[in-house]
This record gives sequence, C-alpha cells and structure tokens, in this order.
Amino acid sequence: MAARALRAARRCSELAGAVNRAVWRLPGLTQVRWSRYGPEFRDPLIDKEHCRKPAAELTEEEKYDQDLRKTQLIKAAPAAQTCSVFADPVISKFTNMMMKGGNKVLARSLMAQTLEAVKRKQFEKYHAASAEEQATIERNPYTIFHQALKNCEPVIGLVPILKGGHFYQVPVPLSDRRRRFLAMKWMIKECRENKPRQTLMPEKLSHELLEAFANKGPVIKRKHDMHKMAEANRALAHYRWW
Amino acid sequence: MAAPCVSCCRGLSYRLFLGLRVNFAQRQGYWQTLPVDAQTAPESQILRLIHTTVVTTKKNVSASGRDSYTEDFIKKQIEEFNIGKRHLANMMGEDPETFTQEDIDRAIAYLFPSGLFEKRARPIMKHPEQIFPKQRAIQRGEDGRPFHFLFYTGRQSYYSLMHDTYGKLLQLEKHNDPFPQKTESMNPIGSRWLIKEELEEMLVEKLSDQDYMQFIWLLEKLLTLQYGPAEEEFIQRFRRSVTIQSQKQLIEPLQYDEQGMAFSTSEGRRKSARAEAVVYERGSGKIRVNGIDYLQYFPITQDREQLMFPFHYLDRLGKHDVICTVSGGGRSAQAGAIRLAMAKALCSFITEDEVEWMRQAGLLTSDPRVRERKKPGQEGARRKFTWKKR
Repeated sequence: MAARALRAARRCSELAGAVNRAVWRLPGLTQVRWSRYGPEFRDPLIDKEHCRKPAAELTEEEKYDQDLRKTQLIKAAPAAQTCSVFADPVISKFTNMMMKGGNKVLARSLMAQTLEAVKRKQFEKYHAASAEEQATIERNPYTIFHQALKNCEPVIGLVPILKGGHFYQVPVPLSDRRRRFLAMKWMIKECRENKPRQTLMPEKLSHELLEAFANKGPVIKRKHDMHKMAEANRALAHYRWW
Repeated sequence: MAAPCVSCCRGLSYRLFLGLRVNFAQRQGYWQTLPVDAQTAPESQILRLIHTTVVTTKKNVSASGRDSYTEDFIKKQIEEFNIGKRHLANMMGEDPETFTQEDIDRAIAYLFPSGLFEKRARPIMKHPEQIFPKQRAIQRGEDGRPFHFLFYTGRQSYYSLMHDTYGKLLQLEKHNDPFPQKTESMNPIGSRWLIKEELEEMLVEKLSDQDYMQFIWLLEKLLTLQYGPAEEEFIQRFRRSVTIQSQKQLIEPLQYDEQGMAFSTSEGRRKSARAEAVVYERGSGKIRVNGIDYLQYFPITQDREQLMFPFHYLDRLGKHDVICTVSGGGRSAQAGAIRLAMAKALCSFITEDEVEWMRQAGLLTSDPRVRERKKPGQEGARRKFTWKKR
C-alpha cells in the first residue's frame, strides 16, 4: 500500500519533471548552465556491492529503481572516480578544492603527503605513550580526516539579507552539503593564509587536522565564532522567509 | 503525366506536358499557368500551357501556422507523391513496388546533392502526411450546426476524451468493491504514458500542462481499478514502449588468433584522444600501450586507476591481457579513451547482466564533454572581461 503510494508519487514527480523540462523549452526562459549531456541522462552508480546483491534481498522499492535504471541513459563515469576501496569521495572533494590551476597531480600528492604526515605524527605519539594512553590514540589517517572535518562543520550559518536598504546578517540553518563545503573551505584557507611562508602545505594541513580532531585550533575557533554571531543575531531570525 | 513532385522548401518547378486536362488548385499561387489556347471545342478543353517556373515565396509548411488544406488537395498530393515515387524508382533503376522511404531519401540526396548546413533546407520528398500538418475534419454541417456536442467548449477532442475516461472510471467504480486488494498494478517499466506533445498530436488540439496532468491522473486512477480487456485496450492507446537501454549496446564478436586464444577489439574516444584496445581472454593482467608497458606510459596513479577500473568492477583484475594503441589528446584523455575501449571489448566475455551493470556504472558511455570554445567579447569560454565602471 505504501509502496504503491510511493510509486504513484514517483510517477507524479516524473510527470512534473517532464512538465518542468517542457517549461524550460519555452522561449524567453533560457538556461545559462547547459551540459553536453541531455536532460535525460542520469548519474552513474559506481558501487560494486550494489550489483552483487541477489534478487531476493531487494525491497520492492529497490527492484523498481533497478528496473527504472535499465531504461535510462547513464552519463560516463568521471575520470577521478573508481570503484577502488581506496577511493574516498570526501578526500576527492578536498583534493579538488585544494587544487590550483588544474594541477591535480600536485594536489593529489600533497593530499597523500598530508595523510602520511598525520600517520607519522600519530605513530610517534603512540610509541612515546604509555600502555593505557595507547588505546585512545587514533592512528588511521582517514578516520582522523573525517572526524576533523566533521568537528569543523558549523551547525548554523549567517546570510546577508537586504531589508530597508541595509544588509543584516541573519542566522539560517545550513544544508549538509553547505556545511561540509564550509568546513573544507575554512580548513584550506586557514592553511594557506595564516601560516609562515616557509612551511609546506602537508605539514600545515596535518597539524590543523590533528588540532581539529582534538576540537582545538583556529578552524574550530572560527566555527565557534560563527555560532556566537548567529546567537547574537537571533533577533533577526524572522527576516528569513524560507 | 505529372513530373515527380520533388518539393523543395524554397521553390517549385513544374513542367507540364501538352494535351492534358488539368485541375487547378486554388491555393497560394501554387500553380501559375497561363492557358494559352482555350477556345477549342467544348468536350476537349485542351490547354496549351507554357513552361513556368514558379518560384514562389512558398511558405515552409511546417514553420507557418496552420493553414487549411482541403481534403481533395491532400488526396491529390498523395497521388502525385505515389506516382512520383514510381518515376523515381524507374529513374534509379529499382523496382517501383519495393521502393521504401529510405530509398527515396538516398535517391534524392544523389540526384540533388546539397551542401547546405541546415538539414531542413535540403530537398526532401516525403509522404504528404509528414509534410502537411494534421488537420481536423470539417466540424459543422451545411446548416452551420456543429457535429460534436462539445464543439462550443473550444477543445472538443480533449473534453470528450476526459468525459469518456471519467465515464469508464465511474462504471468500474460501480462494479468494483470499494476497497480493492489489487497488489500488482499494470505499470511495468517497459512502457510509459505518452508525453504532452504526443497527446496534442493525437487530439490535433493545443493542451496546457495542467490539462495534460489531469488526464494522466485520471488514467492512473483507472489503473488502480480492476478492468477488463476493453478498458485495457483503451489504456494501451495512451502508452508508448520504452527501450531497454542495455539492449542497444553493441557487443563485439569474438575473434580467434593463431594459437586459438580468443580476443576482442574495440575503440574508444575521449576529447580528442582515439584508442583501440585488444583484450585477450586469458592473461596475467599485463597492459601494453603503444608498445610500452602501462607503468611507464602512465606514470600518474590516477590514469592507471582508470585503466584498472573496468577489470576491478568485474573482479577480473589479473585475468586479461590488453594491447592498445592510442593517439591524440592529453594524458587523462588517453586514459579515458583506453578505459572506454577496454570496457567495450570486455563486453564480449561477460554475461548480459554484467554488461548492464557496467553501463550503469558509466563505463560504457562515451564522454561527450569537449573543450568549450572561447566566445567573442569574453576572455574565455565563461570568464568575462573585468567589469569597469567607467
């Protein structure tokens, strides 16, 4: 019953999608961002485990999804994505944000050096610590990276809203993807700007990541500043209309 | 006999032979002929016509708005088209009985080669039903009274369709139990509702988006009830089939070399790189690119990961040998081209399900993205010049 309602809702959304696409073909409404792929192309699903699931384990929803995908055109897989176990979407996104001038090779090597530096520092600490402290020291650089970025994510953000000729900073809830983006951007900005010029990026970045993992450091401070400003401006929250 | 009617969107040229009794079409200055001699005996109205090339500002029928063509006119066009088709077949030395539309297109392209870029401006010869827009039959009788009871709504076909559908819905609801236990709804993935444009074409009427959605909503409601074969047939009129995309994938046939080892060849491209890969059935996972080992040809890890991708996805990492040639593009484009070529060649060794999984992972689609051109008045493809206030 619920599945049927879901399917009906999906069909309605497909209809709406078709109507939207028809709307976009109207004269006077031109899309500036266009793509070499037509609107009917779907994003590829690069997950080995997904296709290995036997048919019995799939729910009705998943079966419908699978059948639907068989009729859809799929885009080509991007050049930076593989089904390898070492491929991490967060690390890829961070690498891309660190990249300058399209030099992916350099960005990727810096990322690798950063993770190596994090691992080395943690191992030094591990070998220098006593037995009961050793249990608390995290040595996997990937978990440190993910946890550090999660710690840096702000919960609420500020948006300038024009009212009566003045711009007010209004506190606004942020979406997941905006939060991740802000965390990564602050991290990179911090490492690029507020460090002495002689230190290399992997060193700076590994240091910042370890501090953020321990909930200390300038990036965490920036997140707290953002929260405090939002708290201070909470009287303006009613300016938000969405 | 009338000459083959090759209608070109820009001009028409008719040559009429003498001694014919000809019907004139009254529309649009279509024919401009001057009857020179019309004063012979009443039973033989022979008109000696002079050659006239009518280069009218003949409207592009598909571009102009709906103009009304009489049924006789359309019938005559169809007759002329059929006669002209036979003449064309004769000219090309083919059998007039089995002369299809593709043959006609080829013959016209051969006889009237055109270098115009706009495909719609080239000479075409198609069945009049494809050229002249579909029109509605006369809707009023001789006394001025309309035939259809919904004529004065302005959209009689649409409203009558909605009326019929709703009538069927009410009938089924009356006969069904109020809480249907229907678990499986007849909505398999293989078909879809017709889109708004198709419905407009069917009804020969303009529809708005809301009208279309209302109609589809009614049909969906009909699907939830139990219906018999009559309603099934009614519903099927509004369904179109959807292709299963994986069936379109071309699978290369296997070839065998001197030792009896099976191999498969395929091409791939990405940006301006062109690659050709030969994947052998049994091997140890060695890849040679342009005669060089892939470790030396692609020193960057990302490129080697791309080469590994198709094999890793199918768990066949060390099982195939590959020899490929690649040219053009940069290092990443070459890697992408080889990846596509290898994935396509691998299709010959795997099951159909695995082909579908590869397609859904995006391994079998050719990447259409190319470098966007720089535009005049801008610094790059998207970047504009710095805005200066004065």
